[in-house]
Amino acid sequence: MSNYFYDMIPAAEMAQLHYIPTVPAFLDWITTQWAERPALSDTVNTYSYAQMSERIACRRTLLQDLGLQKGDHVAIFDKNSVDAVESFLAVTSAGMVAVMLPAQLPAPAVIGCCAKFRAKALVVRDEFKQAVQGAPCPLISASELAQTPTPAAVVDKEEPAAIFFTGGTTGAPKGAVLPHRALMRGAFNGCFAPGSQLFGHVTIGFLPLTHVFGLIAGTLGKLMVGALWYSAEDMKATIGKLPVIRPTVLVLVPGLVEVLVGLTKMYGPQFLGGRLKTIISGAANVPPKLMEEFKQFNISVLAGYGMTEGANLTSGNADTDTRPTSVGKIYPEQEVKLVDGEIWFRGDNVFLGYYGDPEQTAATLTEDGWLKTGDLGRFDEDGFLYIVGRIKNIIVLPSGENISPESIEEPFYQYPAVRDCLVKEDVSGGQGVLAIEILPRPEAVDGKTPEEVEAYFKQVVEEVNATLPSTHRVAKFSIRKEDFKRTGSLKVSRNQN
Amino acid sequence: MTSEAIYEKLEEILKTVKPKMDPARISMDASLTTDLGIDSLSMLLLSLAIEHEFGFQFQTQEPFKTVREVVEYIEKTV
Repeated sequence: MSNYFYDMIPAAEMAQLHYIPTVPAFLDWITTQWAERPALSDTVNTYSYAQMSERIACRRTLLQDLGLQKGDHVAIFDKNSVDAVESFLAVTSAGMVAVMLPAQLPAPAVIGCCAKFRAKALVVRDEFKQAVQGAPCPLISASELAQTPTPAAVVDKEEPAAIFFTGGTTGAPKGAVLPHRALMRGAFNGCFAPGSQLFGHVTIGFLPLTHVFGLIAGTLGKLMVGALWYSAEDMKATIGKLPVIRPTVLVLVPGLVEVLVGLTKMYGPQFLGGRLKTIISGAANVPPKLMEEFKQFNISVLAGYGMTEGANLTSGNADTDTRPTSVGKIYPEQEVKLVDGEIWFRGDNVFLGYYGDPEQTAATLTEDGWLKTGDLGRFDEDGFLYIVGRIKNIIVLPSGENISPESIEEPFYQYPAVRDCLVKEDVSGGQGVLAIEILPRPEAVDGKTPEEVEAYFKQVVEEVNATLPSTHRVAKFSIRKEDFKRTGSLKVSRNQN
Repeated sequence: MTSEAIYEKLEEILKTVKPKMDPARISMDASLTTDLGIDSLSMLLLSLAIEHEFGFQFQTQEPFKTVREVVEYIEKTV
């Protein structure tokens, strides 16, 4: 058991925090514990924990009225709204399985997903309703509540609770099935953060609820500690409300962290409300520069590492000032080991498998419960984890040298002028060599001629090459004028074709 | 507000959002992307700064291409 995370929390507060293995038990606990505190708000309507619980019970009635049973799949298609959070908790506390459909999915894909994942009902936002009329299941309006409540189901922690889409930076999208124990372990881990108190937070659901990081760390983990959660149906409008909402903790991805840094520089920390103490950032590497900039305003950034199959973060780093490139220490109650350099972990945060895909499941999950992450890692002498690269991305050069492109990209990110970069094998000259594409930070190239920009990055490549073994040096480079293709979580996609 | 006054204020905002940009690049017909180097993240930042400074909220999903289009939108709205 690691004390690294427990030590972030004052002992008296830590004594009140418990891992609760199922959604119904979690809902019961937060309702009793935080009863009259505000739970969910869209800035117009705010509901206390007791009111939220009652509304969720009335939403369960709608599921029951359709004749749905425990174990049935219910798709949810909404923005990051109060309705979406309550619908998720209604479905999972009824013992059903929530299929979280990303709000940007086009209507035909939504209909296709309802069929593929055998949804028995689709909870849909009113404005999307017309477009998905062809769904092969009954529709439930996300804004609708029944008049009478229905009690929660009794569920076992091993029963499936939710399906999340995952494709990551490679491969076709799959549906990762998470049991109750995994959701709740992820929520428990999501409570830890340095630099602030455990209870009484105010946060905003900026990240999609259809992503484990947004739903589990950003929402369930925050409800567990009695926080007030604000919806963010419109990203820009919600950022504009920061001075009014005054969050104390935010769960973000690096792209959003960068926008907030810009606003803080322009309008001072008051633009963020003046109470923000902690940002938990995941899904992609957090450039050390961003962490330093926030540190000036006394805001700590907790960088983490995780994957959908592990229900939120597996590790977290509260020491980004001394170890900016580490993803931190492994969260409590998880085992981790390196097998041929690949990170494997095991614990109650691990998923059940990919829906309808036993082959991929067997390739990812061992019989004794180890999740093979596909990521290459290393630990330092103090047990801090560093991600070295992804196995699937390994480039095998003609010399037989196995090279992780991320390990070459990482030193380039130390240059503030490099916004993003991508290392690939280039075979255009007949023999494979390493080539890098660099997307400059716009302000770094403003006012410079193309020749000056080229000369600058040539110098950068030469400087980085000088630090690399001869087999790992970049032989070609190019400068991108347009952004890279990105994944749903804003990571640079490895497949740019 | 006159379009000249809006332009002057917008120029100041652009200089703040893009502190390292050569201010001589800013003109009514400058392209936000190719001339001023505004990418999607700096666009989010720019639109928030405009809303903050002019005291309104954008009600359009249409992307702006030039400084002139932004000025005209603000003139129409404020």
